Amino acid sequence: MALKEGGATALELGFPFSDPIADGPVLEAAAGRALHHGTGWNDLLRACRIASSILPTAVMTYANPVWQEGLTKGLRRLASSGASGLIIPDLSLEESGAFRAAARSNGLALVLLAAPGSRPERIRALAHASRGFLYLVSRYGTTGAVGRDPSVDLKPMVATAHRAASHLPVLVGFGVRDRATAARALSTGADGVIVGTALEELLAKRPSPGDLTRWLRSIAAAARPHRAGARTRGR
Amino acid sequence: MPRRFGRYGGAYVPETLVPALEELEATWRSARRDPAFRAELRRLSRTLGGRPTPLYLAANLTRRAGGARIWLKREDLVHGGAHKFNNTLGQGLLARRMGKPRLIAETGAGQHGVATAMIGAALGLDTTVYMGEVDVARQRPNVDRMRLLGAHVVPVRSGSRTLKDAINAALRDWIANVRTTHYLLGSAVGPHPFPSMVAEFQSVIGREIRSQSRRAFGQLPDLVVACVGGGSNSIGTFRPLLRTPVELLGVEAGGRPGSVGAASLTRGRPGILHGSFSYVLQDREGQVLETESISAGLDYAGVGPEHAYLRDSGRVRYIAVSDAAALRAFHWLARDEGILPALEPAHALYAAVAEARRRPSRENIVVTLSGRGDKDLGVVLRAAR
Repeated sequence: MALKEGGATALELGFPFSDPIADGPVLEAAAGRALHHGTGWNDLLRACRIASSILPTAVMTYANPVWQEGLTKGLRRLASSGASGLIIPDLSLEESGAFRAAARSNGLALVLLAAPGSRPERIRALAHASRGFLYLVSRYGTTGAVGRDPSVDLKPMVATAHRAASHLPVLVGFGVRDRATAARALSTGADGVIVGTALEELLAKRPSPGDLTRWLRSIAAAARPHRAGARTRGR
Repeated sequence: MPRRFGRYGGAYVPETLVPALEELEATWRSARRDPAFRAELRRLSRTLGGRPTPLYLAANLTRRAGGARIWLKREDLVHGGAHKFNNTLGQGLLARRMGKPRLIAETGAGQHGVATAMIGAALGLDTTVYMGEVDVARQRPNVDRMRLLGAHVVPVRSGSRTLKDAINAALRDWIANVRTTHYLLGSAVGPHPFPSMVAEFQSVIGREIRSQSRRAFGQLPDLVVACVGGGSNSIGTFRPLLRTPVELLGVEAGGRPGSVGAASLTRGRPGILHGSFSYVLQDREGQVLETESISAGLDYAGVGPEHAYLRDSGRVRYIAVSDAAALRAFHWLARDEGILPALEPAHALYAAVAEARRRPSRENIVVTLSGRGDKDLGVVLRAAR
């Protein structure tokens, strides 16, 4: 609720995996704590039902937990718990066929990721295959990386994706943590940003709902008025 | 080069790594057809690596078993003390060909880290090795060797602090530095093209076994045995023999009685770990289990996808051998033949002796002795107390 008040338009729920290779130390430690406390698939479904009653909710986890739940059965249960999207950072376009088919038949949007090294023809293919939005990784590195990487120019990548799939929003994530980084990400022409690690760090300090709202508002203020604001990620 | 072995393999990786894997595959495809590359690989294998390695008749061990003859494929005599050099040399040359000035690697027992550090020094490439904190403590001599060879050794403190977590850390480094860095993966695991490429660099073991057996005893062996962690020495041993009638036996780490050990093929089920679909030791919901083996080099929850395929097809038989049995085999070889084996191939030796006992003396068994045991003295002495 506090995040919705703060300007979030969707929530990303992270489901822990023991070997989260795309995540930096903050989210890796969060996953380790969650697993240590016995977090399982049923907890995810419960969290999905709560989150999706407030905002559209996408689940982010790795390929193996989804595979082990069974693509058909697992995705059906996710969808019936209210999830609208699924993000799997270690699922390459080449291996995504069976996952996309199962997501499609259950009305779930399987979100694909593009990255700084993706060439234009690859961005086009990813934009065509992705549903819900295209997740544009802003830099070389894992989630939570800090500091600017001047060698990466996202603007032409966003434009390529928009040309390839004009109705598909492009959201920028990895390294978006405050107003300045959000403003920079949005200046590329992207439709929104995803904030993960910074939220996790804030949640570790046990903030009040008011703190959360104020914090997110300051980030969402970076969004231009005609395009929707920040998407956030939480447990 | 196949992307899949049956249903196993593939490349389940973050998009950031896809261009690097494509570049690696393209470079490897052109290099293997390039006579100059192949000549340099052969020359350095011989002059720097000490290949070919001998096939040794372990006559005293054969007498102990009292059955089939036991031969040792002496990969412990390769430069650095293990088969790992075969792969680090090949990939090091590929890194140079791609113009990447920096190598990173994961290591469990430290043998792959040492072999990467050697190649990094020889080819003038900056080298960083990730190693789980638990392994740093139990394989201390190899940490010192890597540092003396000029590599940076980074202890990994996350997760189970063993090989699996070292791979995670190396993958994260690669994601951040992929434009300047080659990830010199040490086993036949990971995303395509690593399983195919590593298997091909290691296949020199099986090719030599094939020709040396004919010279030594006039025919192919009846049985060939190798240990399986990620599975690089075993796939290199088996591959050139797949289309022959030779019986093949892969030996996994069984750990202590009642523990899960590190036996992915015999006790795991299919799943996705570190970029490929293969057998994985995991819980009901797909969380990867912490493994437990006396041998750091086998202490891994996954296994190469080609082994998964060979297991399902029945072409290779896989069994698990316990910590205690491996230790017994270590002492047998030390006393009988004057050779200290690494604890990894000690698992295979135990299985080979057990097989030799049940077989007639006219049969020949070849065991790949994938590394020497100097690094394990601390572990072995502690276990003896």
